[in-house]
Amino acid sequence: MKRKLTWVLLLSLLLCAVAFSASVELKFLHRWTQEPDSLFFDEVARDFEQLYPNIKVNVQSIANDPFKEKIKVLLGTSDAPDVFFTWPGEFTNRFIRADRVLDLTPYLLRDGSLWNYVGSQVEPFVYQGKIYGLPYRLDAKVFVYNKELFQKAGITKAPVTFAELIDACKKLKAAKINQIAFGNEGTWAVSHYIGAINQKSLPEDVWLKDLDPAQGVWTHPGYVESLKIYSQLVPYFNPFANGIKHDQARIEFMAGKFAIMYLEIVEIPEILREAPTGFGEKIGVFVFPDTKGPGDPDYLVGYPEGFVVSADTKYPEEAVAFLKYLTGREAGRKEIEQLGFFNGYRNVVGPDEVLPIIYETTSLILNSKRMVNWLDSDLHAKIWDVYSVQLQMLTDLVATPENVMKEIQNIATEVRKEF
Amino acid sequence: MRKSAFNYLYVIPALGMVLLFVYFPIVSNVYNSLFRMSSYSVTKTFIGFENYTRIFKDPLFYTSIKNNALYALFSVLCQVGFGTLLAIFLEGRYVGSRLRNFYRNVLFIPSVISISAVALLWYFVCNPTIGLINGLLDKAGLQHLITAWLANPKTAIFAVIAMSQWQYTGYIMVLMLVAVQKIPPELYEAAVIDGANGFRKTIHITLPSIKNMLIVSTIITIIGSFKLFAEIYVTTGGGPYNATQVLGTYMYRAAFLFDEMGFGSAIAVVIFVLTFTVSVLQMKYFSGED
Repeated sequence: MKRKLTWVLLLSLLLCAVAFSASVELKFLHRWTQEPDSLFFDEVARDFEQLYPNIKVNVQSIANDPFKEKIKVLLGTSDAPDVFFTWPGEFTNRFIRADRVLDLTPYLLRDGSLWNYVGSQVEPFVYQGKIYGLPYRLDAKVFVYNKELFQKAGITKAPVTFAELIDACKKLKAAKINQIAFGNEGTWAVSHYIGAINQKSLPEDVWLKDLDPAQGVWTHPGYVESLKIYSQLVPYFNPFANGIKHDQARIEFMAGKFAIMYLEIVEIPEILREAPTGFGEKIGVFVFPDTKGPGDPDYLVGYPEGFVVSADTKYPEEAVAFLKYLTGREAGRKEIEQLGFFNGYRNVVGPDEVLPIIYETTSLILNSKRMVNWLDSDLHAKIWDVYSVQLQMLTDLVATPENVMKEIQNIATEVRKEF
Repeated sequence: MRKSAFNYLYVIPALGMVLLFVYFPIVSNVYNSLFRMSSYSVTKTFIGFENYTRIFKDPLFYTSIKNNALYALFSVLCQVGFGTLLAIFLEGRYVGSRLRNFYRNVLFIPSVISISAVALLWYFVCNPTIGLINGLLDKAGLQHLITAWLANPKTAIFAVIAMSQWQYTGYIMVLMLVAVQKIPPELYEAAVIDGANGFRKTIHITLPSIKNMLIVSTIITIIGSFKLFAEIYVTTGGGPYNATQVLGTYMYRAAFLFDEMGFGSAIAVVIFVLTFTVSVLQMKYFSGED
C-alpha cells in the first residue's frame, strides 16, 4: 500500500514538473536573418528565458522585403506571432484598425514603465490616443559626407541650407568629384528625400492631413515646389539612379567614389564595419538642409522601428514582459555593444561608452523637435504605389512636378472613396 | 457489382487529394473573388462582380496581358523554334558524338539552376555601371547603346524575356532531341535514295514526325508564359513605371501590397480562364487535324 502511494505521489510530481517546465511558449518574429542582428535576438531571447524559466521564446525571422507581405498573411491565421516587428505609421495602423495589435497602454501605465522610454520615440507607436508598440531601434536620415573629398573641392563646412548644398555639389562637380551617391531601384530611397522636402516645404497641418488616406487631397502648391526642389538635386546624382540598388550606391560611397550620400543612421555602424580602414574618420554628417519653406527646419526625417504584441496572443502578460525586456535597458546595452544601435530606453549608455559618431547621430534624434515618418511607410499603399512610379519618372526626367502631383491627386481621390 | 464498387475504393484517396488540393482551391478562389477582403481582417464584404469590372477597366491589366503575350511569342519562337533547330542540328550528326554530348549538357544546365539564382545573375549582367553587357559595349566603342537594361522601360521586358530564353531553350531542346531520336532511320535512308537534301529531310520527315512533341512544347511554353512571376519579381519587381508587370505580379501586387485579397482572387480567376482557354483551343486545333 505504502509503495503504491509512493509511486502515485512520484508520478504526480513528475506530471506537475512536465506541466510547469515549459508552460508558456511565445512566438517571436523579426526581420533580421543575417548576423550579427540574428545572433543578437537569439541571445536576448535566451537571456529572457533565464529570467523567466517558465517562458520559452521561439525566435523566427523573415527577410525584410518578404516580411512586409508575410506578416499580413500570418496575422490572418491562428499562427500569428505573439510579438513581432513592425514599422510605425500606416504599416501598423491598418493592423490596429483590424484589431490585430494589442493595446499596451494599461500594461505600460500600471507599473510606470512607460516613463523609462524617450517620449518622442514612443509617440510614433501611438494611434488614436493608445500605445501599441515600443521602439527597438532609433533611426533617422542624414547626409553623410566624405570630409577629404569636401576639402579637395574647397568646401570648408557642411551645408546648412539647401542653397549651400547645391553650391557644394557645384564645387564638387567642378573638382571632377562625383557628388551624390543614389540607388533608387527599390524606390523607397526617394521617399526619404521627398518626405524631408515635403515636411520643410509645406505647413505642418497640410501634410499631416494629406497623409490621412481618408482626408488627403494633395492639392497644396507646396507639393509641386517640393518636387522642384528635389529636381535640383537630380543632376548631381549618379547616372542610372533608378537602375542601381541602394546597397551598390553605398558600396561606391564607401569606396570613396562619391562625396555625399543620404543614409540612415543605422547604416553608419555597418559602414564602420565594412568600409576600408580609416573611412570612419573621414566621414561627417549633416541633416537635410533648410529649404526656407514654411515647415519647421528642426524636424528630422526618420522613425524608430519597433515591436508590437498580437491582439490574439494567448499570453498577453508574458508577451508584454518579453517586449519590455527586448526594448529595455539590458537588451539596449547589448544592442549598442553588438550592433551599434540605440533603442528608445532612457540613459542606456553615456557618451564615453560609444563611438563619437554614433553618439552624435543618435543625439540628433533625441534632441530633434519631432520625427517625420518615412513617406513610404506613412502613405496608403495605393498612393505610395503611384507616388513611387512618378518619382522614378521625375528622377529620370520624363515627368514634370505638375504632372506628378496630378497623378497623386487622382489616386488620392480614389482612395478616399474606400473610407 | 460488388467487385466494381470495391474498385472505386482504391480511387477515392487520389480523388480526395485532387479535390482538396486542386478543385477546392479553384472554387474557393472564385468565391473569394466576389468579396472585398484582406488577409489579416476577419470582415469581408460581398461586392458581386465589382472586382472583375475593375480589372477590365484597369490599364495595368492590359499592360500585363501585353507583356505575357510578348513573353509567349518570344518563348515560342526562341525556346520551341530555336530549341527544335538545335535538336535537329545536334542529332543531324554535323558534330562528333563527344561534342554533341558536351553541347547538349551545356545548353541544358541553365534550366536546372533556380530562377532566383538566374535572376540575380542576370541582374548583375544587366547592371548599368558594373554589368557585363555595358562593359562589353563600352569596350566595343558603343557607349551610345549603354543603358540601364532592367530600369529602362523600353528595354526592361525584353531583358527579362532574354533571360528566360537563355534559361529554358536547352530544356525544350532536350525534349525535342528525345522526339527526334525516335524517328526511324529508314525514313531518312529512303529520302536519301530519293535525292533529298538536309533541308528537305527536315521539312518532310523530321518536323512531321515530331509534331506531337512540338504541340506539347508549345502548350507548356505558352501556359508558362501566362504563369510568369518569379522572373519579373526578382529582376524588376514589375517596374520601371510598371512597364514589366505581368498577370502574376499584377495579382501579387493586388493581394499582398494593397491587401485586396478579393481583387487578387479575381485576377487569379482571369489567369485561370485565360490559360485554360488557350490550352483547350490548342489541343482541339492540333488534335482536330489528326
